[in-house]
Amino acid sequence: MISLAAEKSNNKVLDLQNLSQEDTALEVQNLNLFYGSKQALFDVSMKIPKGKVTAFIGPSGCGKSTLLRCINRMNDLVDICKVSGKILLHGENIYDKSVDVAALRRNVGMVFQRPNPFPKTIYENVVYGLRLQGVNDRRSLDEAVERSLRGAALWDEVKDRLNDNAFGLSGGQQQRVVIARAIAIEPEVLLLDEPTSALDPISTLTIEELINDLKDRYTVVIVTHNMQQAARVSDQTAFMYMGDMVEYSDTNTLFTTPAKKQTEDYITGRYG
Amino acid sequence: MDKLNLDKHISGQFNAEINFVRNQIMVMGGLVEQQLRDVIKAMATHDVELAQQVARRDNKVNSLEVKIDEECTRIIAKRQPAASDLRLIMAIVKTIADLERIGDVAKNVARMVENGLGKRSNISVASLETLGEHSVKMLHDVLDSFARMDDEAAFVVHREDEKLDKEYERLFRELMTYMMEDPRSIPNVLDALNAARCFERVGDRCQNIAEYVIYFVRGKDVRHLGTDEIAELL
Repeated sequence: MISLAAEKSNNKVLDLQNLSQEDTALEVQNLNLFYGSKQALFDVSMKIPKGKVTAFIGPSGCGKSTLLRCINRMNDLVDICKVSGKILLHGENIYDKSVDVAALRRNVGMVFQRPNPFPKTIYENVVYGLRLQGVNDRRSLDEAVERSLRGAALWDEVKDRLNDNAFGLSGGQQQRVVIARAIAIEPEVLLLDEPTSALDPISTLTIEELINDLKDRYTVVIVTHNMQQAARVSDQTAFMYMGDMVEYSDTNTLFTTPAKKQTEDYITGRYG
Repeated sequence: MDKLNLDKHISGQFNAEINFVRNQIMVMGGLVEQQLRDVIKAMATHDVELAQQVARRDNKVNSLEVKIDEECTRIIAKRQPAASDLRLIMAIVKTIADLERIGDVAKNVARMVENGLGKRSNISVASLETLGEHSVKMLHDVLDSFARMDDEAAFVVHREDEKLDKEYERLFRELMTYMMEDPRSIPNVLDALNAARCFERVGDRCQNIAEYVIYFVRGKDVRHLGTDEIAELL
């Protein structure tokens, strides 16, 4: 009984509408996004809590990846993309003209669907970001490699072959190298865009376990096609449909008693 | 079933599996109801043969419970049901456990009839029969609400249990007076008391099933809540 009570207090349900400033990692305010004349996001507003895992689910083309990419301004790379509204990080709008996008992306790391290690050694992959920042001191690089690879639950598997090419690793290991590379520069927020969709079930479980460990130190936002994965790894889940945020609540509620029929139909595999 | 959209899954196979367990639970419910009706009849008419039949048929109830349980386990393993599907499976798994226990009640009372419940004594089994019939009515109504997944009908059954409890208390006092008047009647009266207690428990189990129906329809867990609190939630 005691452990059950303890568990409950750890998993206390956050009031996502009225999240306090210090509990909020990111706040999206009235975000609209257009690809040319086509609107992809409609007035999305949400608060993403600090030190938690937030999942975006929804059918293909619902805007979940688009929203994720907005958080570190990856959409800037798309010429026809226009954004209005705000995303606040530390109370500052990341779409402000004064914001240094490179600095933003150092703070908000991203991992993609397919593992994309660089054609370099495992070691060089992990320290890549640090070298870009001008860190060349061997000792701090060594420390960062061990810390990041441990953080990405890969250290024990690769510690004796850090100078092997990262392409020689399995898909799941490559994805963890990429995660190690992302956390080497100590971001606050980690964005994962379908991080396990190219991986086998066992590697997937390893990554999911890793996500659970990561949330102690980072705010994790994950986009996934796999609803059960969202149910397993996230603390809160947002269901999106055709560019609207239909429902956003804590994961336990969303998967047992969703408030909206659209959500219910989607997570139970019904046609509406 | 249109209201519940149980047959609206993209996977036709999943629709079929859910329909199958829903049918099976109705089969099981019907069987348990028949068992209870038969044992009351056996008790009222001192029909030992009918009582023996009831005791033998309890096997069928038990094997249905196992079968439905297995099917639900398979659905959970293969389909990972969520939201209303998950609540339905949970409601079914819990309901069959209560139905199985109601089946046990029928069997136990059947054994008492075989041992001469009501026959040896001068006490009338009429009150006991009324109590039993009231519990059968509750079972019938709660199964009906389950079939239609009607939370309001389930709540009616839920409230009905209070009346059954009162009836049990009345019978209890009646039987007490028998014991006080004639100590030699005590063994027989104790048998009757046991049977009365069994029927009273059927009401509690029907109340449980009503709670599962409400849980499925509303997504609200109303166990251990008072009638007023439930009324407020609905």
